[in-house]
Amino acid sequence: MSTHLVVRDLAVSFNGFMAVNGLDLTINKGELRCLIGPNGAGKTTCLDLICGKVKPTAGSVVFDGKHLETLEEYMIARSGVGRKFQVPSVFRELTVRQNLEVAYCRKPGVWTNLMRGPQNDDTAGLEDLCGFVDLIDQMEAPAAYLSHGQTQWLEIALLMAQNAELILMDEPTAGMTVQETRKTAEIFNRLKGRHTLIVVEHDMGFVKEIGDSISVMHQGKLLAEGSVRDIETNPLVREAYLGSGGFGHA
Amino acid sequence: MSKPPQSPLRQRATGFWQPELIGIVILIAAMYLMPSVLVDDFLISKYSRYLVFGLLAMALSLSWGYGGILNLGQALPFGLGSYCMAMALKLRTIPVQTGADGLPDFMVWNNVQQLPWFWVPFYSMTFAIVAGIVVPSALMGGLGWFMFRGRVTGVFVAITTLAMLVVVNLLIIDQQQYTGGFNGITDLAQLTIGGIVFDAYNRTTFYLIASVASVVLVFGYVLSCTKFGLILQAIRDQEGRVQYFGYDVASYKITVMAISAAIAGLAGMLYTIVMEFASPTFLNVPLSLSVVIWCAVGGRGSLPGAFVGAVLVTGMQGALSESKTFLDTWTLVMGVLFVLVVLFLPSGLAGLIGQLLAKIRPGDGHGQNGTVDVKSSHPKEIA
Amino acid sequence: MHFVLEQVLTGLSIGSILLLVALGLSIIYGTIGVINLAHGEFIMLGAYAAWALKTYVGLSLLPGLVLIFLGVGLFGWLVERILLRRLYRRPLDTILATWGVGVVLQQVVRLTAGGDLRYVELPPSMASSVSIFGVEIAAYRIFIFVVAALLFLVSWSIMNRTTFGLKLRAVVQDRNVASCFGINADRIYSLTFAYGAGLAGLAGAIVSPLKSVSPEMGTGYVVDAFMVVVLGGVQSLFGTVISAFALGEVTGVIAFLQNDTIAKATVLILIISVIRFRPQGLFVAKVRA
Repeated sequence: MSTHLVVRDLAVSFNGFMAVNGLDLTINKGELRCLIGPNGAGKTTCLDLICGKVKPTAGSVVFDGKHLETLEEYMIARSGVGRKFQVPSVFRELTVRQNLEVAYCRKPGVWTNLMRGPQNDDTAGLEDLCGFVDLIDQMEAPAAYLSHGQTQWLEIALLMAQNAELILMDEPTAGMTVQETRKTAEIFNRLKGRHTLIVVEHDMGFVKEIGDSISVMHQGKLLAEGSVRDIETNPLVREAYLGSGGFGHA
Repeated sequence: MSKPPQSPLRQRATGFWQPELIGIVILIAAMYLMPSVLVDDFLISKYSRYLVFGLLAMALSLSWGYGGILNLGQALPFGLGSYCMAMALKLRTIPVQTGADGLPDFMVWNNVQQLPWFWVPFYSMTFAIVAGIVVPSALMGGLGWFMFRGRVTGVFVAITTLAMLVVVNLLIIDQQQYTGGFNGITDLAQLTIGGIVFDAYNRTTFYLIASVASVVLVFGYVLSCTKFGLILQAIRDQEGRVQYFGYDVASYKITVMAISAAIAGLAGMLYTIVMEFASPTFLNVPLSLSVVIWCAVGGRGSLPGAFVGAVLVTGMQGALSESKTFLDTWTLVMGVLFVLVVLFLPSGLAGLIGQLLAKIRPGDGHGQNGTVDVKSSHPKEIA
Repeated sequence: MHFVLEQVLTGLSIGSILLLVALGLSIIYGTIGVINLAHGEFIMLGAYAAWALKTYVGLSLLPGLVLIFLGVGLFGWLVERILLRRLYRRPLDTILATWGVGVVLQQVVRLTAGGDLRYVELPPSMASSVSIFGVEIAAYRIFIFVVAALLFLVSWSIMNRTTFGLKLRAVVQDRNVASCFGINADRIYSLTFAYGAGLAGLAGAIVSPLKSVSPEMGTGYVVDAFMVVVLGGVQSLFGTVISAFALGEVTGVIAFLQNDTIAKATVLILIISVIRFRPQGLFVAKVRA
C-alpha cells in the first residue's frame, strides 16, 4: 500500500490557543482510519485543516504528492478531498436528485456549467446511489423534508457522488439509531479500499466494526496509533480519557 | 429537524415545462396584447416604462433570488446603461441644441472646450449599445470580484453595493461638466436604427421594449435551467458547503452579478429611450431600494414574478401620482405591504400563486414531462 | 496652533454627534445582530418628538429628553416584539423589514406633521459660546460632547457591570444554552432593542437644534452611524467610540481640504475597503479564525 496522505508538524493557533499542535499522520491509500480522542483533542480541527476550512499556522498536508495547506477550499476539493460535516449540511431547498447533481462535479468551471442542462451524464449512477442509501422514494423531494437520519445518509451519498479519493467524515453516526448505525458501518466497509477514509467517531462500537487502524489525538497531538486491540490496552490512552471523564461510549 | 422550507416555489424539479415557464409565456402574451387594450399613445409610453422596470427587477431576481446575493445597488448598472444611451443620443441632437463643433450644451455652459475623450466613441451607436451592456456588467463584475474574492458575504454585500451606488451617484452629480450634473443629460435625439425611429410616444418603442423583455425573460429562464443555475441555488442555500464539492463559489457569484448587471444596463438604455433623458435619479438610492421591493413583492425566486411585481407596483404608483396626497398615502401603503410581504410571504406573489396551485390540484403527482411533482407527492414530514 | 486646535475641536464636535447617533445602532447590531435600517427614522422620531413637545405641550428640550428616550424606546420595543422576532432566522430579511419600517415612519410623519422643515430652539441656557485657548466653541456642542460621553459610559456599564449585561452577553454567545439556564432570551432581546431605539431617539432630540428637522433627515444619519459601527468593529463599544472620533476628525479635515462630495465619497470608499480587508473593524484585534 502506498501512502496517500501525509500530515507533518501540523499546527494551528486560535488567538494563542493551539487547537492542533505538531500533529503527524500518515495514511495509506484505501485505508480507513478512525480518529478518536477526548473532547477538545482537535479532531474536527484536524479535518478542517486538511480540507482547507482552517489554514494552518505551521506544518504541511501532502496529499498524492501535492501540498494542500496553501490551497483554497475548492482547489483542495478538486484534488480529491471530500468532507462530511458534523452538522449535516445538505441543500435543504433542493431536491435529493438536485443535491446529488450538485455533488457530482466532474467539470466545476463556470463556463461549462453555463452551457449545459442540470442533468448529469451519469443519471443512472445517481439513482443507484439513492437506492443504496434508501432514498430512492425521496429523490424528487426537497432535502428539507428528510428526517435527521436520512439527511445524514444524503450527505454520505453526496460524498459518494463526488467520488472523492479521500473522504473526511466528522461523526457520521451522530444522532443515528442502532439500525442506522449498522447500515452506516456497512456503507463504510463498502467504501474502504476504493476510497481513503478518515472518520472522527466517539462510538467505540462503531469504530470496532469499521476500523482497521486507529489514531488517538490528545491536546492537539497524536497520542497513540495502532489496531483496536492496541489502543484499548494502551495505558496512555486510558489516562487521557480518564482525565476527561472516561471512554466515550455513545 | 425537518421543517419544511418557507417557499415551495423555490424548489423546482428538473422538467422543462415548469410553472415558471408557463408564467413567462403568459406574461409575454399579455405584454403584446396590451396595446390593443390601451389605445392612448401616452398610456402606452407609460406602460413601456413599467416594462423596463420589470426587466430591472427580473435582473435582480437572478442575482438575489437565485444566487442569494442581496444587491442593493441594482440601480447602478441601470443608470450607467441609461447614461451610455443618453451620451450617444446627445451627440446626435440637431445642432441647434448643441454648442460649437457639436459640443453638448451643458459642456458649453461649463466652459468645456473640447469633447472629452470618453465621449468620442459614443458617436457610434453600435459602440454605445455595446458599452451600455458591457460597462455596467464589467463594473458590477469587478465589484463582485472585489467582494467575493475577499469572502464578503450577507449583509456586508448589501452595504458594499449600496455604498458603491452612492459613490458613483455623487461623482456623476459632482462632475457636471462631463455628465450634466443634477440635471442629467437632456434634449436627446430620437433613436433611429435602420430607418425606424423610436419615438417615446410611439408604438415602435413599445414593441422594442416588449421584444427585448421577452427575449431576456426566456434567456433568464434558460439560464436558471442550466447546471450553472442549479449551482447558484445551491450557493444560495448553503454557500459554505458548495466549495467542498470543488466549485469556485466566488466565480459563480461574480458571473451572476455580471449577467444581472448586463440586463440592468440594457434596461437602463431602454429607459433613456422611453424617458428621453438620463438623470442621476436613475441611479439613486430610492430607486435602487424600490427594485428590491418590486422583487420581494412579486417573488424574488421567480423571474416572471419579479417582473410582474415591478409592473404592478410602479403601475399603481403611476396611477396614483396625479395627487401628492394619494402618492404619499400610496408610499405608506407600499411600506406596510412590503413589511408584510417580508414577514409572511417571503416568496412573494409568485409563491402565493404556487401555493394556491398546489392546493387546487393536490392529486396530480406528475408534471408534463413525467417528473414527479415535488410539492404533492410527499407528506410534509417524513420523520 | 490656533488653526490646528480649531480643526481638532471641530472634529471632536462632529465625532461626539457621530457617537451619539451610532451608539444605539452599535448596541443593537453588536448584540442582536440586526442591521436596523430604521435607525435613522428612530432618530427622526426623536427630533420630531422634541419639536412636538415644545410646540404643543410647551415642554422645552432638556426636560423632554427623558420622555423622548422612553417614548422612542417603547416604540422600538413594539417593533421588536411584533416584527423582528419573526425574522431572526433570516438575517437578510431583517434589513428589508427594518427598511420598510423606516419608509412607513417617514410617510406617517410626512402625512401628519407635514413635509416642511421644522426647527427646534436651542435651550437658552446654552445659547452662549465658550472660549477654549482662544477658540470659540458653542456651549451646546460641549453639552453634546458631555452627553455622548455619559451615554457611552452608562451603556458600557450596563453591558459589563450589571446582571442584565451578563445575561445579554450570555444570550449573544449562545442563545439556546442561555435559555437552558433560565435566561429569558426573548425578553433580553426586546429590552436591548428598546434601549438602542431609545438612544437613537435621544440622539435625534439632542441634535435637532443644530440641524433642521425633516422626515428625510434619518437617511443621512443611518449611513453615518453605519460607517462608525463598521469601522469600529461589531461587538466593540470601545471601537465605536474610537471610530466615531476618528471619523469626525477625518471628515472635518477632508471637508476642509476638499468639497463635501469628495469627502463623502472618500469615506464610503474607506468603508467598502474596511469591509473587504478588515471585516472585524479597524480597532479590534482579530478574535477567532
